[in-house]
Amino acid sequence: MRIFENTDFNLVGSRRRGYILSGILILLSLGAIVTRGLELGIDFRGGMEFVVESSQVLDATAVRTALTSVLETSPEVKTYSDVGAGGRDALLIRTPSEGETTEIQTMVVQGISDAFPGSDPQVIKTDVVGPRFAEDLKRGSLYAVLGSLLVIFLYVMLRFEWRFGLGAVAALFHDVLITLGIFSLLQGFLPFSLQIDQAIIAAFLTIVGYSLNDTVVIFDRIREYTNLFKTEPYKIVVNRSVNTTLSRTVITSGTTLLVVTTLFIFGGEVLRGFTFALIIGVIIGTYSSVFVATPVVVELYSRSGSARRAVRR
Amino acid sequence: MQGNGFKVGAVIFFLALSAWYLFPSFRGLSLNNRLGGMSQEERVDYERDNFSTIESIKEKSLNLGLDLQGGMHITMEVGLRELISELASERRDEAFDEVLAAADARSEAENISLIDAFVDEFENRDPDASLSRYFRSEEITRRSSNSEVTQYLQVQGADAIERAMQVIRNRVDRFGVTEPSIQTQGSRRIVVELPGIDDPERVRALLKGTARLGFHLMADPGELNSSLQRIISYYEVDIAPPADSLDVGEEEINEEAESDTSFDVSQLLAETDDLDDAGNALLDVLILIPSGQNPVAFGEVAAQDTAAFNALIADPEVQAMLPRDIELRYDANPSSVSGSEYFPVLAVNRNIELTGEAITDARADFDPQTNQPLVDMEMNSEGARIWSRLTGANVGKNVAIVLDGVVYSYPTVIGQISGGRSQITGLASQEESEDIVTVLKSGALPAPVEIVEERTVGPSLGVVARKAGFTSLMVGLTIVVLFMIVYYRAGGMVADMALIINIIFIMGILAGFNATLTLPGIAGIVLTIGMAVDANVLIFERIREEQSTGKTLKASIDGGYSKALSAIIDANITTFFVGLILYSFGVGPIQGFAVTLMAGILASLFSAIVFTRIIFDYAVIGRRMSVNFG
Repeated sequence: MRIFENTDFNLVGSRRRGYILSGILILLSLGAIVTRGLELGIDFRGGMEFVVESSQVLDATAVRTALTSVLETSPEVKTYSDVGAGGRDALLIRTPSEGETTEIQTMVVQGISDAFPGSDPQVIKTDVVGPRFAEDLKRGSLYAVLGSLLVIFLYVMLRFEWRFGLGAVAALFHDVLITLGIFSLLQGFLPFSLQIDQAIIAAFLTIVGYSLNDTVVIFDRIREYTNLFKTEPYKIVVNRSVNTTLSRTVITSGTTLLVVTTLFIFGGEVLRGFTFALIIGVIIGTYSSVFVATPVVVELYSRSGSARRAVRR
Repeated sequence: MQGNGFKVGAVIFFLALSAWYLFPSFRGLSLNNRLGGMSQEERVDYERDNFSTIESIKEKSLNLGLDLQGGMHITMEVGLRELISELASERRDEAFDEVLAAADARSEAENISLIDAFVDEFENRDPDASLSRYFRSEEITRRSSNSEVTQYLQVQGADAIERAMQVIRNRVDRFGVTEPSIQTQGSRRIVVELPGIDDPERVRALLKGTARLGFHLMADPGELNSSLQRIISYYEVDIAPPADSLDVGEEEINEEAESDTSFDVSQLLAETDDLDDAGNALLDVLILIPSGQNPVAFGEVAAQDTAAFNALIADPEVQAMLPRDIELRYDANPSSVSGSEYFPVLAVNRNIELTGEAITDARADFDPQTNQPLVDMEMNSEGARIWSRLTGANVGKNVAIVLDGVVYSYPTVIGQISGGRSQITGLASQEESEDIVTVLKSGALPAPVEIVEERTVGPSLGVVARKAGFTSLMVGLTIVVLFMIVYYRAGGMVADMALIINIIFIMGILAGFNATLTLPGIAGIVLTIGMAVDANVLIFERIREEQSTGKTLKASIDGGYSKALSAIIDANITTFFVGLILYSFGVGPIQGFAVTLMAGILASLFSAIVFTRIIFDYAVIGRRMSVNFG
């Protein structure tokens, strides 16, 4: 079976359409991030999260009302799909409260069982992050993201040249920005949590790695073809490179998308936000290697006057 | 085929290595199956008989993260600010407190060590001021320079972490958790992992309290011996111990939390033990010590029997047979005989004669004459007064140093000690003297520890996560395997074989490096499955391209592999870097993800480039077969 073989799409020629699409997506994302903001999880904000299992289905809003008076602050309450044996129902309760974990936990359990007699609430998962620790996690994540981008830029620059490095990093910013934008836009509309926590940062870095993987394969082909077809215009050489690698790009994205979707469906509630980020990231990352990273290289070449220069090997 | 001998050797070698590392995990699985099929009684006996084998299997098996097996992950922070305050004690003044508060805020904002921030703030405030004004010790005098004081503070800070570790380890040991892990993280944090804990409230309460150090008198040897005889004969006649709640007196209820928690760890074990009355239930677990060797010891108990012993001794009637005010405590230092550890059981008076706050300093030293290790201990004036009276009245007897209910040392009083300076001699090693110093100081300088992060996953949720991970892995694998065969035919089948080998390698790497498999880690493996085929996709696409130019199969394969190589390497190295960065900045489950991602890249590079090549070479050159790349 073969798909996308010997294609001859004028991908470089239609790069303007890509710019428009990416521009719109980036503007939308920035707009969403500025106006709607990003919801930080307790990893970066500090607070407590309890998953409470109960023997009857509890209404999230009613539980929230009941707990607001007990905790003296309004907790977030969501349904939680993973539960233990016996088909019990579970809720995720998130509160910014500080203090003794055991005390707050008792208040939550007591509050629910008072409001819903016979519901037999039990805490099956607890996550507590102190404000200081949250600061450290935030700092660590920031370093991780910046560090990865820097290392990637340096590596691509070393193995290719600076124009490629810039192209790759531009594509990565594009991917992460749009994924963040989608998170911001969709938060509150999906049945699972889209809060930014450590796992989401790990997902972003994986997206970065994945998108780069795609980009590097195309760059590698451009590097090879510029040496092979020295007499042809650069744009044509680039377009040919993108077209010959297109089949691989689609196949690998396809298999990766398949497994990530598998994880999204079967991986459970804990991984849902993480895998959702990966699904978006794989799609955007594949698109950006063809329509962002490569065009940036083309633009930089045509700007720099000497339209054709041998690429360092 | 030339030159493939080395490649074949490498594949076989790595497969064998993975199998070697994974073998204990398979044994662990079959062990769990076998134990699951046994009755409670058989299980206890089996676990007792095979204690060391089971322990070694557990130790070498692939570790499951707490999110997969349930348990508690706790990060604790040692209060360095309180420690600095404590060290300055009465020399503190307003300026000192202000500097300390400013330093605390700065260390948090700038992520620098509190001690550095403190010294810096202090010098900023008044460059000519001397830190030695506030701190005084053996090493620090009025004339000590600020850098000497800084060094002293750093040593004290490191010691405080060390002491906190000791206290935490000591407490964790009593939860009866199978594989607790206690590690330092950075300069002031301690990470405790307790698999399978289902009572987080108790753990929180026990981990947080400050350490309690006390000096206790010990049982009279004569009384102890006769009560030991009575208890042995109690279990000899084998009266089923009635759990009559009326017998439990007030004192029992008021007993320290840790003693009854350790006793209820394994009631079940004890009950089944009472039923099989092959001999004396007590002497099954208690090893008597020949008379005269250690008169304050009740006996010795092997590490695996401690739970059973605790349960036997918890019987109220047995408690009543012990000498008045005497309780049984374990010695912190087990004796080791042919790989098994034996804990001496000591009879300690429950009254605290003197608390650890009386100690002002303790140091490990050597006797100048005999060069034997010893411990120097100093007490404050009030402590010295009580100590003098205590030692005067108990010459020739033992005094137990008890921290959180565990006896660390029980030196014999040689003579009355007045003036507050004492020496503990007759220690086996320098290590022992240093341990005792740590214990003595944990009473003297209690740096508070605070829980700054907690992640608890209930056991039922762990099972759900495990199933979710396994299902995703299987479904993901099946989809990719089928896709590859449909799309690349014979080539795809070879790639699938490489994929299976790839997964074996990843698991082998994880087991070999003693890494922990978490749910994000499994996600990493599933993701790797999707991306691992990438290397083969790159190669196969190249082979197809080469074939379409009319080259022979052999030439196409050669060309495909050699031309795809640079793209494969470049693409994977960058992802590997990302994994490395994630590993160094992430914590817990995220590190698990980073580890599997990196292991996956290494394994897939090897299996996709080396392994598949061997197969193609064998098929095309060796057997002159035609391979269809779809």
